[in-house]
Amino acid sequence: MIDDAGIVAFTLASAAAATLLIAVPGVAAGYLLARHRGKSRGAIETLLSLPLVLPPTAVGLLLLQVFRPNGAIGRALAAVGAPVVFTYRGVIVATTVMAFPLLVRSARTAFEEVDPRLLDVARTLGATRFSAFRRVALPLARRGIVAGLLLAFSRGLGEFGATILVAGNIPGETQTLSLAIFHRTQLGDDPGAMRLVLVIVVIAFVAVWATELLTRKRAR
Amino acid sequence: MIDLDMRVDAGAFRLEVRARVDADVLAVLGPSGSGKSTLLEAIAGLRRAFGTITIGGERLRDLDLDLPPERRRVGWVPQEVALFPHLDVAANVAFGARGHERQQHDAIETLELGPLLRRMPETLSGGERQRVALARALAAAPRVLLLDEPLAAVDFEHRARILPWLLRVREASGVPIIHVTHDLGEASALATHALILRAGRVHAVGPIAEAIAAAYSAIPDLALDNVLLGEVHPEGTLTLTGGARLAVPRTDPLGRATYAISADELIVATQRPVGISARNVVEARVLAVDAVDRDAIVRVSALGTELRAKLTDTAVDELALAVGVEVYLVMKTHALRRVA
Repeated sequence: MIDDAGIVAFTLASAAAATLLIAVPGVAAGYLLARHRGKSRGAIETLLSLPLVLPPTAVGLLLLQVFRPNGAIGRALAAVGAPVVFTYRGVIVATTVMAFPLLVRSARTAFEEVDPRLLDVARTLGATRFSAFRRVALPLARRGIVAGLLLAFSRGLGEFGATILVAGNIPGETQTLSLAIFHRTQLGDDPGAMRLVLVIVVIAFVAVWATELLTRKRAR
Repeated sequence: MIDLDMRVDAGAFRLEVRARVDADVLAVLGPSGSGKSTLLEAIAGLRRAFGTITIGGERLRDLDLDLPPERRRVGWVPQEVALFPHLDVAANVAFGARGHERQQHDAIETLELGPLLRRMPETLSGGERQRVALARALAAAPRVLLLDEPLAAVDFEHRARILPWLLRVREASGVPIIHVTHDLGEASALATHALILRAGRVHAVGPIAEAIAAAYSAIPDLALDNVLLGEVHPEGTLTLTGGARLAVPRTDPLGRATYAISADELIVATQRPVGISARNVVEARVLAVDAVDRDAIVRVSALGTELRAKLTDTAVDELALAVGVEVYLVMKTHALRRVA
């Protein structure tokens, strides 16, 4: 049971860390995509959405290539004492990459609903581009952004495929809830796996319900 | 002084404006799609323009300068009004007012927003929104106000209530106004000068009377109204600002009012009519006769202002109307429509 608590805490912490990491770049990307009307928009959107449609294991393998210990990036990170592969950092990296597109999509949709006329008016009233974003677009898109953050967080809680390839499944070190459920089933510890399933059901229920509430308010 | 020598390319549409007008209020008139809104957006810096834009001696754009919108200090009120829905009235008005506390205070006073300050935009009527948008623009201490069809987003009933506010803004603020409209009555009530746009080109520009005469032939769907300002007294008497009196419907509410009478409904007589049911017969003198297709617009000086009557060219010939001729204008009481 102490084990269970540790697993739940680690999973919540990694999902939260990943969500915090993507918050600023995700919202920025969503805003730029909503305001940008150039030809490159389609290509960028597709690229950003790839992690949503690719098998998570494929993404994991690509990440493994990028961060492999004998690669340039892997060596550099190891030299500063922050290796990624088979560490808790690997869990966060995998979760971050998988959750990012969800936030970008929600933020983009929320920003697209902001009347561009309002931003124009703000500019004529002396606001710079950034200030118009901060004082008008951001508060008006707030609900959609929070919903996107919750969605990204929920996705982070359940991440499996990319995580297991990048971070492995090391109990007490990189083992998240979904990894532990898989692991216990393999070992035949079905009651142990079920306990974790119940926990994740409750957490996911709360997160998705909160998202629903927020999006419904927005639609009203 | 409004000095424009500019070009905007928007896909297949091209707007070219060259105009130099010394006006307190410049009305920009023209049919839909003639480039009126585009012109305002280009002056505001929201649309890419080429050439030069100078307002009140300040260059907003020329060959080696292109100020971004936030440094142009234009008070732009778009057709959609576009109040910030997440801010109350006070915060909307204060949005661009940092460092202009006096202007902010004056704007709230002029547009009488005191009782509305804590309200959210979604709870306001169309007319109230329009007043808030005007105050928001004024509070930022603009060097020019750009009003894009300020009455278009307001339903007909509220329309009549906005015009006096625009007049107030003009009197109280002293900020020059560029006022886009397709309503000649609105234009002549507010503006001293007019710029007529047609398919992206300047069709006419100058003092409003001449520009409107030119516009009338160019833009057939423009409503040609004469606007009269005054005060309504009991028993349906309208005392005009100049002192002259007219009979208006007795049921009209008392107090300051704006009336309109269409150019079509003004009857011109060369002798004082007698035994006639129309209650208003006033002396006038012909200032000009402008031929427009098979009709004529006769401009007369009457009631301390300038009025326009639309007659057929046959009527002009038979009455021998020419500059300087003394005539009488006949107006039915019910032809005087209260618009504000």
